Amino acid sequence: MPASDPQDRDPPDRDPQDRDPEDLDPGLARERTRLAWARTAIAFAAVGAVVVRKDVIDGLIVLAGAPLIWAMGRFAVRKKRPEQASARLLVVTVSVIVTAVLATLVAFLGHSPASLDQIFPRHG
Amino acid sequence: MACHHRCPRPATGAGGGATNSRDGQGDPGHDTPGAETEPDPRFTLANERTFLAWNRTALALVVAGLGIVQLLPPFPGVPWGRHVLGVPLIVLGATVAGTAYLEWRRNQVALRHRRALPRSVLPQVLAATIGGIAALAAIVLLVSAVR
Repeated sequence: MPASDPQDRDPPDRDPQDRDPEDLDPGLARERTRLAWARTAIAFAAVGAVVVRKDVIDGLIVLAGAPLIWAMGRFAVRKKRPEQASARLLVVTVSVIVTAVLATLVAFLGHSPASLDQIFPRHG
Repeated sequence: MACHHRCPRPATGAGGGATNSRDGQGDPGHDTPGAETEPDPRFTLANERTFLAWNRTALALVVAGLGIVQLLPPFPGVPWGRHVLGVPLIVLGATVAGTAYLEWRRNQVALRHRRALPRSVLPQVLAATIGGIAALAAIVLLVSAVR
């Protein structure tokens, strides 16, 4: 095949969505990235479930991060401009830091068990 | 074979496959180290997955710290023991999340300019802090046993 076939090359201004999927997604890298976003959303849900047992408001704030992260992951694997990717990942970072701040508040202000009996109460 | 022109180059290290330039055709700047180019999507996505993995690690640290403070019974004779062990883990989680974002940006800039990826400080920070907290936990347990 001639090396200079103009139909065979992607012009720089061509919409990435119109390209051959294998060209944009060798090795299913996008699928792995989509799964990584899903795992991160599940991690937020798990942390929120722990926090909500100690402080309902703080826990619900953390839990709200799970669908946010999941929704961002749905759009993350599409070809976007770099500054959009940066903003998206910054949201994840801020969410984790906010979770850490809320966890610190719960750690200092929440009711800590004074003994093992308060964690595993004996019945009868 | 159509793929000769359309497929990105296979990963061959920091230099060979770092961009999706078309075999250097058309724009000679694509193969010039230091010139800004759009990175190969695989490297961009791998960088993003690394960032997400660090953030999951950060969340695990936060929940571990919270668990120590809120779920462990108090150490006899060391009432501050749980906070001394748990709060640094939560702070480490926030630090890991912030640093992971900065490292993602640095790596992305390096990929765009076809430079070698900068070394990550996160493994050292994580190992040193967890090691320090483990040593602190041993001290708290010893003090608790002595009192």
